[in-house]
Amino acid sequence: MFSLSNEIALFKKTDMEAITKRVQQFINNGELTLPADYSPENAMKSAWLMLQETVDRDKRPALQVCTRESVYNALLSMVVQGLNPDKKQCYFIVYGKKLICQRSYFGSIHVAKMVDPDIVDVYAQTVYADDEFEYEIRHGKEVVTKHIQKLQNINPDKIIGAYATIVYKDGRELSTVMTFDEIKQAWKQSPTKPIDDKGNIKAGSTHEKFTADMCEKTAINKACKYVINASSDKSIISKYAQMMDAELKEAEVEAEIEENANQEFIDVTDYTVDDTPEPQVEPQPTLEIEPDLAESEETPY
Amino acid sequence: MRLKVLGSSSHGNCYILERGEQTLLLECGVQWKQIQQGLNFDLSRVVACLQTHEHKDHSKSIREVMQAGINVYCSQGTADALGISSHRLHTVPPLKQFTVGDFVILPFPTKHDCAEPYGYLIYCISTGEKLLFATDTYYIRYRFSGLNYIMVECNYCGDVLKEQVAEGTMAVPRKNRLLESHFSLEHCKEFLQANVTTDTRKIVLLHLSDDNSDAERMVREITDLTGIDTEVADPGKVIELEIYPY
Repeated sequence: MFSLSNEIALFKKTDMEAITKRVQQFINNGELTLPADYSPENAMKSAWLMLQETVDRDKRPALQVCTRESVYNALLSMVVQGLNPDKKQCYFIVYGKKLICQRSYFGSIHVAKMVDPDIVDVYAQTVYADDEFEYEIRHGKEVVTKHIQKLQNINPDKIIGAYATIVYKDGRELSTVMTFDEIKQAWKQSPTKPIDDKGNIKAGSTHEKFTADMCEKTAINKACKYVINASSDKSIISKYAQMMDAELKEAEVEAEIEENANQEFIDVTDYTVDDTPEPQVEPQPTLEIEPDLAESEETPY
Repeated sequence: MRLKVLGSSSHGNCYILERGEQTLLLECGVQWKQIQQGLNFDLSRVVACLQTHEHKDHSKSIREVMQAGINVYCSQGTADALGISSHRLHTVPPLKQFTVGDFVILPFPTKHDCAEPYGYLIYCISTGEKLLFATDTYYIRYRFSGLNYIMVECNYCGDVLKEQVAEGTMAVPRKNRLLESHFSLEHCKEFLQANVTTDTRKIVLLHLSDDNSDAERMVREITDLTGIDTEVADPGKVIELEIYPY
């Protein structure tokens, strides 16, 4: 039996057998059906090769810094979701001592199709200022009804938004429409920090060089995330997919805290000097304030 | 110094810090009537109200506080988000100290999901006591020296949160919001390890979550770690802050 512990034990190639056994258990219990063309062994072999090249921020090999538990969890999660690193459906990132497997947008499409077998395709388009673009809200869902684009409209400086459309077996199409501001807001959360403090895309970043492609990826990720999160809690794929997202967030926050917390010394100085911003005014005792009047004032926050 | 707790949770936050004839109001996120009662209806001693950020559980009575003639200090971002203006409102830049009465105050940026949150380092000129006040922050960038009293948020236990997510009683988006807005026990401990010295006399834990904190455990773990007298800021509590306890 594979034992998990928090101490820094390194993951070995032989530990992969434990993952294969665990996945087999899920399959035998009827909790998991992997696509017929998916081989957990092959995916793990690809991952193993990729992990040889994966390094942390200080260029140390992932397999020498990451806990055995985190490597086990990352690989198990990858296999349960039927992801293959060879197909660029996922990649590995080291946060501190933790190995995190992150889905690419290809991976998100793949997982969305696994949790909802009625999905046949997911595509995305960028919308430019001069495009003819219309959409409706039907039963609370966005449905793009018209998008006509001319080649001359395509101009990275004139992007006004993007949408991803999920196509179902019965021909239904549901979209996720995002304005460019919403997209940039999503990018602000990205650990690669492609947006500066003023809200502009940083020069030289992938987001600046391939803005439309990145917009489309963001819209696809949002659309797929909705499918994955909305699927039944009983689905083990969806459970692992959500856990993967949660772990990524946790690892990002941990890394931020580790890097920035409790660093710079600050203190008060020259206490005797009075550098009050405003002259002191003796506060006056006050009368009761009408509670209704006070409550009625709006406090935007 | 004496600390009166009027509220310390998402239901409302307000503390009265008394030193001799002078009082500092830390936040005003409870009913104005409660603040008046807490001050024994004597507003003349209040030299300032320090505001950390704009969320309503911290700022509920800010208009009444200003109308009552109390000077409010906060960041420009907080003032803008609150949409308030008054000659009683003083927006102060980060990391630039100012003096009110017997207190030198150094505002410093904290990390919360709001406009421009501050924590405050408070130094009492006549007694030399130093107090840190930091709430609603998922970490603190800074370190401090010679703190006598530390009022710091300790909102949730990371492991309890994880269990709740696994059990499905906590939604992932809510958990993500917590991660990037409030101090966990684990990160609070790291902060205290970096800041507790032999000068430290008291740690007061603020803003415990209703759902995923454990007051007894937090106090026990922090006392074990730091060896400093630690207590939770329960509403109604009066906490004596003394450098020389005997």
